[in-house]
Amino acid sequence: MSFMQPIPVKYACSCGILNPINKLFFCRHCPKLRCGYCVCHEIESHFCSNCLENIPSSEARHKKNCCANCFDCPCCQHTLSARATTVAVVRKPDEAKDKEAQSGAGGESGSTTPLKPSSVPATKKMYYLSCLSCRWTTRDVGIPDQGVATGTWPDNECLYQLRFNSLLEYYQSVVLQEKQDRQEFLRRKSPKQHKFPSLTDRTGLTVSLIRRQIGWNEKTLPKSKPISISPTEATADVEQLPPDIFTEPLNLRQVTTIAQRLSQPRDQPTAVGNLYPQRRSLWIKRSLRCRQCEHNLIKPEFHPTSIKYRIQLFASHHVPEVVMVRCEQPLKSGQKNAIVVKITNPTMYDMTIRILDALPEEEEQLTTEMLQQACKIKEEAVTSSPLLRAAGITLTRQNSTREIKREVNELSNTLIEPLESEFVLSQRDDSKEFDEDIQARSEIEEPKFIVWRKGNKVLLRLQFTPEATSKISDEVVLSFYMQYTYVNTVANTTEKKEPTTQALYSRLFIQAGAIEKE
Amino acid sequence: MNTWRRQASGNKVSRHTVLCGSQNIVLNGKVIVQSGAIIRGDLANVRTGRYCVISKNSVIRPPYKQFSKGIAFFPMHIGDHVFIGEGAVVSAATIGSYVYIGKNAIIGRRCTLKDCCVIEDGAVLPPETTVSSYMRYTAKGTIEGGQGNPYFVPAAMQDEMVGYTKSFYEHFVRTPAPAS
Repeated sequence: MSFMQPIPVKYACSCGILNPINKLFFCRHCPKLRCGYCVCHEIESHFCSNCLENIPSSEARHKKNCCANCFDCPCCQHTLSARATTVAVVRKPDEAKDKEAQSGAGGESGSTTPLKPSSVPATKKMYYLSCLSCRWTTRDVGIPDQGVATGTWPDNECLYQLRFNSLLEYYQSVVLQEKQDRQEFLRRKSPKQHKFPSLTDRTGLTVSLIRRQIGWNEKTLPKSKPISISPTEATADVEQLPPDIFTEPLNLRQVTTIAQRLSQPRDQPTAVGNLYPQRRSLWIKRSLRCRQCEHNLIKPEFHPTSIKYRIQLFASHHVPEVVMVRCEQPLKSGQKNAIVVKITNPTMYDMTIRILDALPEEEEQLTTEMLQQACKIKEEAVTSSPLLRAAGITLTRQNSTREIKREVNELSNTLIEPLESEFVLSQRDDSKEFDEDIQARSEIEEPKFIVWRKGNKVLLRLQFTPEATSKISDEVVLSFYMQYTYVNTVANTTEKKEPTTQALYSRLFIQAGAIEKE
Repeated sequence: MNTWRRQASGNKVSRHTVLCGSQNIVLNGKVIVQSGAIIRGDLANVRTGRYCVISKNSVIRPPYKQFSKGIAFFPMHIGDHVFIGEGAVVSAATIGSYVYIGKNAIIGRRCTLKDCCVIEDGAVLPPETTVSSYMRYTAKGTIEGGQGNPYFVPAAMQDEMVGYTKSFYEHFVRTPAPAS
């Protein structure tokens, strides 16, 4: 399985990190490879991974990012499940007396009526939570059973809850006040600069002027004052340790582990008896965004059970995939060897591929120039776009940062001999899968390095020589550049609408194996 | 002796398997059941989608639930393009499509595995666990990942599993080779 095993072929991302192709994305607008480290991660939706319920972000914030119905085991952090038991309901004494009185009054009915209460089984379904992983139950800590299966479990209030709430309120008001002060300060300091001064200047009226003329008060909110709270005071007299702590033998089964304590951060119990079911924290679906052009690379659908994407720009859909097939001979230092790789074209257009050992100089210059230009555009965009400024305040979105080009570290110790000619890899055609054998290209003279070809796949034989200085069991890492033509259907400029063909470069590294004994 | 049976629907089932209650087992085509696998169709219906791989010595056992009046077995549904690793014991209620179950994993009874999730090698899922889409259940017993998180389950999990199970089926060689 390609994602369960270490993959020998790695691509250099545009940020300089090596990744297998299934962890890479391809921004069609840049067009460059992107990995998880050089994209913005944004929260797309919140959901509970146990009950698979979608929870809107405002509700999630209100519920402190916890699910209302699902609980985690405080002992092993697995999900708790509700168990039902039937409990015989004990009749209240007065109720029983009433029944007796009734039966006594209607004496005619005789012997049948007194039997009735006992013949009807008075049972009630009661629920408790149980962990099927470690067998912890809510009965272990003496939480009474509930009559409803979900959601009615009360939160455990700890001692500091009141104090904590008042502190929270206080700091919220402090933040609010500081914000108001800052706004006031800014407004006084700088003369009003409207984005569209012509619109208001025509009449000579401003919003505040109009308000004053009508007789309304200024738009500013009444200043909020922080609620006074009593500051915490340090005290010198601490309670003495109970005397039995020195005499009683410690029962480690009654002491909680660090993980158990930290999963219950509110009171961090030290004794097992104080464990309480914890509300299950929510999970998120992420959407990824290119930091340079701010286009989405991945945008999943909202619904928690949906596996589809609204936008998906996986590298494996756009970049030719290189798979190592085999090394022809055992690897020996200084001896010529060859590696067979399979290249697959995933796109709907034919590709022209060249294998190079170095980037052509003008291309290298071009990429750096383009990068600098892009950075400049980026800076302008950051200062002018109101969207981004809003993002800075809400903090729901990571600020896009300037992309810094990092050179890929020289990890390779062997270069692949570049191929003398380029070759064309035909487009992906899903219907070809059902054909038996197509020998359409057989009449064309194939270059020598092509071992086999079928549809959009080709086997190449690439030659290399491991360094003569490398020792036994040294890892041989091959590196090469692959130039491929990519047909970009995204119109970057407004004038051009038809797809453009671009020559793109990818740097690849292949771990061919270790040098063997002579 | 021909140890492999190829059915008209394209299923490849080893003769060294234990298929109890075979009238209750539905393999929906192009499914590979390798030697030593046990499918307990006698307990309840077992239904698999297309292009599933049931590896050597794995056990597929419909889940049961205990009631006050005894126990009852429930049918088991497996989606398309599901890989079940060697020695895995699976007693899930439903398994979605594009699911990868590692070697020697134990899936407890009445678990729900949604589409595109990964169970690591040697992971043990307690009964009634839900693993939602794009989650990875680790051998340590934690759940990681989520859709859009590229570090645990590949974002293109669907394509990966389709490619993997299809190439597994196409490159599958039965030994000894069938007498022609």
